[in-house]
Amino acid sequence: MAAQLPPPDDPITSRSLARPLLVAGLLLLAVLGWAIYQEEIGLRPWRGYQRRFAQAYAAYLEKRLAERRRAEQQLHASPEYQRLRATVEALRRTTEEQDRRLEQQMNLVEEQRSALLSTFQTARSYVGALTYEYEEIPDTPAYRKEKQERFRRLQQALAEKHRILWPLGNGRTEIRYLNYDQLNAQFNALLEEKARLMEERGRVDQPLKDAEAKLAAFEAQKLPGLSAAQLQGLLERVRNLDLKIRQVYVNPPGRALNYLGGGMIVDRCQSCHLGTDASLVPPGLTLTKADLGMANSHDAPFASHPEPELLRIHPVERFGCATCHGGNGWALDSVRTAHGRYPHWLWPLYYPENFQAGCQTCHSADAYTEFATVLNRGRYLYRVKGCIGCHKYQGFDDQADQLTDVQRLIRELEREKQHNIEEAARLNRLGDQAPDNATAQRYYAQAAALTLRNSQIDTRMDVLDRQAHDLFLEVKRVGPSLKEIRLKLQRDWIPYWLEHTHEFDPNAQMPQFRLQPEEVRAIAAFIWQDALKGPALPHQPAGDPARGRQLLYERGCLACHSVGEGTQRIGGDFAANLSREGEKANYDYLVRWIYNPHLRTAPYCPYEHRDLTPEDYARHGLPFVFDAEHSRCPNDGHELEFEEPTVMPSFRLSWQDARDIASLLMTQKHPNARYAPAPYMDDPKLFAEGRALVRFYGCAGCHEIAGLEDEGRIGTELTTEGSKPLDRLDFGFLLTSAKRGILPDGSRSPRGPWYDLKGFFDAKLRQPNVFDRQRYLPNPRDRLHMPTPALSTEDINALTSFLLGSVDTSTIPPEYLYRPTDARRAIQQGWWIITKYNCIGCHQIGVGQHTVLEALPQYQGENRANLPPILTFEGARVNPDWLKKFLANPALSTTDTNRNGVRTYLQVRMPTFFLSDDEIRILVSFFQALASQPQQFIPPVLKPLTPAEVRMAREIFVSPAAPCLKCHMTGNPAHDRTASAPNFLIARERLQPDWTRRWMIAPASMAPGTAMPSNLFRFENGRWVFNGPLPPDLKNYPGDQVDLLVRYMFQLTPQEQQALAGRTPAGTASRSSR
Amino acid sequence: MFGDWHQLWEIISNPDNVPVVALLFLVPFFTWFGLRQAHANDRLIAQLEADPEKARTHHRKTQPYHPSWPREVHVWPYLLRVELLAAVIVTIILTVWALTVNAPLEEPANASITMNPAKAPWYFLGLQEMLEYFDPWIAGVVMPTLIIFGLMAIPFIDANPLGNGYYTYRQRRFAIWTFLIGFEGLWLVLIMIGTFLRGPGFMLFWPTQTWDPDRIEFMANRNLDDLFGIDGRWLAHLLPASQKPFAVIWARGLFGLIPVTLYVVGAAYLFYRILNATEFSRKIFRRMSLLQVVVMEFFLILMLSLPLTIFLRLAFRIKYVWETPWFSI
Repeated sequence: MAAQLPPPDDPITSRSLARPLLVAGLLLLAVLGWAIYQEEIGLRPWRGYQRRFAQAYAAYLEKRLAERRRAEQQLHASPEYQRLRATVEALRRTTEEQDRRLEQQMNLVEEQRSALLSTFQTARSYVGALTYEYEEIPDTPAYRKEKQERFRRLQQALAEKHRILWPLGNGRTEIRYLNYDQLNAQFNALLEEKARLMEERGRVDQPLKDAEAKLAAFEAQKLPGLSAAQLQGLLERVRNLDLKIRQVYVNPPGRALNYLGGGMIVDRCQSCHLGTDASLVPPGLTLTKADLGMANSHDAPFASHPEPELLRIHPVERFGCATCHGGNGWALDSVRTAHGRYPHWLWPLYYPENFQAGCQTCHSADAYTEFATVLNRGRYLYRVKGCIGCHKYQGFDDQADQLTDVQRLIRELEREKQHNIEEAARLNRLGDQAPDNATAQRYYAQAAALTLRNSQIDTRMDVLDRQAHDLFLEVKRVGPSLKEIRLKLQRDWIPYWLEHTHEFDPNAQMPQFRLQPEEVRAIAAFIWQDALKGPALPHQPAGDPARGRQLLYERGCLACHSVGEGTQRIGGDFAANLSREGEKANYDYLVRWIYNPHLRTAPYCPYEHRDLTPEDYARHGLPFVFDAEHSRCPNDGHELEFEEPTVMPSFRLSWQDARDIASLLMTQKHPNARYAPAPYMDDPKLFAEGRALVRFYGCAGCHEIAGLEDEGRIGTELTTEGSKPLDRLDFGFLLTSAKRGILPDGSRSPRGPWYDLKGFFDAKLRQPNVFDRQRYLPNPRDRLHMPTPALSTEDINALTSFLLGSVDTSTIPPEYLYRPTDARRAIQQGWWIITKYNCIGCHQIGVGQHTVLEALPQYQGENRANLPPILTFEGARVNPDWLKKFLANPALSTTDTNRNGVRTYLQVRMPTFFLSDDEIRILVSFFQALASQPQQFIPPVLKPLTPAEVRMAREIFVSPAAPCLKCHMTGNPAHDRTASAPNFLIARERLQPDWTRRWMIAPASMAPGTAMPSNLFRFENGRWVFNGPLPPDLKNYPGDQVDLLVRYMFQLTPQEQQALAGRTPAGTASRSSR
Repeated sequence: MFGDWHQLWEIISNPDNVPVVALLFLVPFFTWFGLRQAHANDRLIAQLEADPEKARTHHRKTQPYHPSWPREVHVWPYLLRVELLAAVIVTIILTVWALTVNAPLEEPANASITMNPAKAPWYFLGLQEMLEYFDPWIAGVVMPTLIIFGLMAIPFIDANPLGNGYYTYRQRRFAIWTFLIGFEGLWLVLIMIGTFLRGPGFMLFWPTQTWDPDRIEFMANRNLDDLFGIDGRWLAHLLPASQKPFAVIWARGLFGLIPVTLYVVGAAYLFYRILNATEFSRKIFRRMSLLQVVVMEFFLILMLSLPLTIFLRLAFRIKYVWETPWFSI
């Protein structure tokens, strides 16, 4: 068809599409540009971060480098440096000549070796192959001829002479002919020669190397940190920073790290957080935002890790980042995604206040984790605030559960035993009536087997009972026993307390329940009527409140208890505030409680499920006495709960002391404090309803209540609460506001949406019934009944951190979990006991840990010396056998108990905790392990002193430069009043000689602030010498004088000490305890 | 709670829902656009039919129209350049979409914690919506199969020789209305419902009503026979002893036949009337074979059952009309 021009007026054929096509094309280009921008920059924000970092960090390094150069120049100008430098130079010159000669020799050897090498290798492989060929053929007649032929060939090869162009040095050579054996010998000889030459060269160079090392050490000591050369290298690297994804990749073989986000750890955090990359900021250099001049920037993720030590223990190459911190280690395209703060990332970055949740993930078996103060506080609160009373947590104080198991086993065995007795009697009867002898014998044998079985049961039960005995010592309840409240409390105060717990004490351990008035009445009536009514307590005469006040402040009560209200409050929060004690307490009971809180009014028999009465004992002709020695039930012979399950220890006070303190406490009340009379407390009609309510609210989780001793915990188990899917947490009608970031009080959440675990825990702890909002729940029992704990915002953060970290560990590779099997296990176990009894209220144990006592006004300044000892190195200091004895009885005496066992001069008292044998064993191992002592202690044998040595030691002992007995106790009451250090006589049993030696040399470095003087000895000619005027015969004593004194101390007798005391100048010294 | 505009915005701005939000505007636009063209063409057809001479020799049947223009134009360049332009524009749109909206990925699947609401991809939401109203066997297997067969049968049952290759309404009234009801009115509306109105627990939420997963809905459904109190008591007298325990099943099965038969007969008659509504449609109807009519009736009856079931469920809380041990309708 001929080409035909389209009609000009047809829009389809004549309209030009050029303009739309141009516009679309341009748009396409623009979009392409946008895509390229996104590809290069938009989706790779880390490039920008890296550029900014390189710029700022280079500037910082330049500054540091300039400073360092100046410092190095100054140092290099110093005479000492010059001297060392000159030594190095001189040595270098002297060794140069020898070095050159050796070098030449080595070169020649090397030349000869290479001349030999190729020929030798060829010959060796040829001979080797021929040898194999010869060996391969069996030595039988059929092969004899072939074998001979091959042997001939081998011999020929061995005899063949190889031509070698043998170098003789200086370019001269000669031709040698060597057979295989000669080649071999020559080659080995060359290797030996080379080794000899290298060794010689090392010997020659050694002085130079030593001098250089000395110079380097001097420089490192005077100018620690990175040298100018190192800084220069770093600067070069930073200036030419390679913009790349910086990634940690850990893939433990054979493991699926599901929890950690996929099959492996892939963390690219360092792509933006460049300061944590050790190749850029090496250890020893710390970097803050301020260093980079970005102190006020909100977008400068460049600081190095704030806790380098933590990073050293948990190297990034093994742990990655998100393992501890949470977040999406893979993501790089925005801050939000990298931090995992979007709905579909299950492990978002922890908020700064909850960072330590990450520690709990792997350290869930710890009661105390170093560096994790917030987390430790969370664990502490979980116990102290009674969370544990309702919410089971694996590993947390499970002794009560163990005890239940033991009791169940005992009961089963008892039943079996009873059955066996009846069965044996029946079999015996059958035997008696048997028609023939053989049948009778068979019956008697069966009966005998049952009797034997019963004796086995008895043994087993005995073991269980002993276990129960220990467990009764270990089981502690958060709240006081309610069995005793009739003796202990004012009747009318109880309903008030139930209803106004936090008005009475804003920091009360007991949470505030939301009870209806009729519920309060019923509960109060039940616990009042359910409590023990007798035997009545002996009447106590009044004491002296003024002396009581002194005792309260001095003995250490405030390590756990607090006094004063509001801002006046001082002391610990481990136990109750005492400032309103007088409003509620019964004086007679209080005296007994202070005297010894473990005294019980009546023992509880778990086998019979009831509290025993004096009649039970009288029926068996026994006195009504029950304690650790009389802990078996007179009715059934099983272990009793013979003491109050309280962690409060006995301070071994006299009855008079107890009366004085109690009298003081009875004065502690608000003026005009008065409670409405509660006559209904004795109304028996309320009993049943009250009992049901007490069970409903789970009171028996914390309190011992008659008839409800075996009640279980009513709350959710929280061991893996941090892994709970969000859908399983009921946000109720707050769900939408949580998703949209509106807080329950209507304000905007500063962190946006709070529909996450943190948000739930936080809201729940602030107001436990908050998720009931808007719900129609006319029956109070349908409402959420978790009571409100008294917590500050910090406390809530601490508990939230603890719960967030409480994750299901089954998906974490076991090698990441902190479950040590070595000495660290002893430390891990020990902390559970240390925290259980609040030892850290008085003693500093962990490094950098603070005690409650040291914050009290009476221990400030000079008076710090009155604090209890630091126990970090206790395991190295004392003999573990002694420590066992001491922990069981800190008075170290059964008669004179109203004092400290070691530091009798201290007013603060080491109380008796009534620990079980197991707890004592764990504690001793704990202290051993903490001080890096071997777990098996073998006391060293000390060389006995010669008479001459005894004389010399005495002279040092009483020397005016160091009159030991001026401060150390001697047993003389007049002297000991002013003494400030322990008696030497207990040293032999108590201390370890090695520690004593180190202590005498440098006490201040072991216990900063101690009154024990340092610099008593100086190091001279390889031994320690007394640093005072030396008596003449001591000057010639060749041995170590510290050693001498230690040996003397460890054989000191009372008579000897008495004699020395007479020669010591009298005087007072400042207190030392630490 | 109503008046929750934030909720509405969350649904509309969800990256998953971008195509459906686009449908919301694109479908009405293109429906209107197509009908406008059809209308213009219809006028042209009428004009041409008035002049039979011209109609036979020289017309395009599509607007714009001028008698002097050629009847056909070349694919290249007149079609391909427009297609190129369209391809460029679509590329731009897709690229911008890809750059601005990330793939809506979620956490790794966990069989013990499923998402709520669990929704099918948007193009299958109609099927999922059907599952709400029908026996899973019917909605999940029978209906999708029949829908595909129905679409395959369209060329077979189409007896109308006109209206191919150009937009027209007048010559294709029945087909257009079937499409508007069957595809836009049913399939697309079900997708919209599934996207915008189905919230947590696949409960129905009106726009601006908060999607509360804890919402409690009154959804106690019953079968039609429950309404009539069919319990097989009468039938038990007539059945042999071995069948007496199953009397209630028999009774329900027999009872259910009645409304289903009534519906089938009624709907068949309704479509018969529609197919014979105008002179033009009567002409087409007469061109159809019996098999064509039966097939067409079958699929139309099936199509109509969907809105009817939905109506019965929503208005009277009726779950099934006909319940048997093997299937339920």
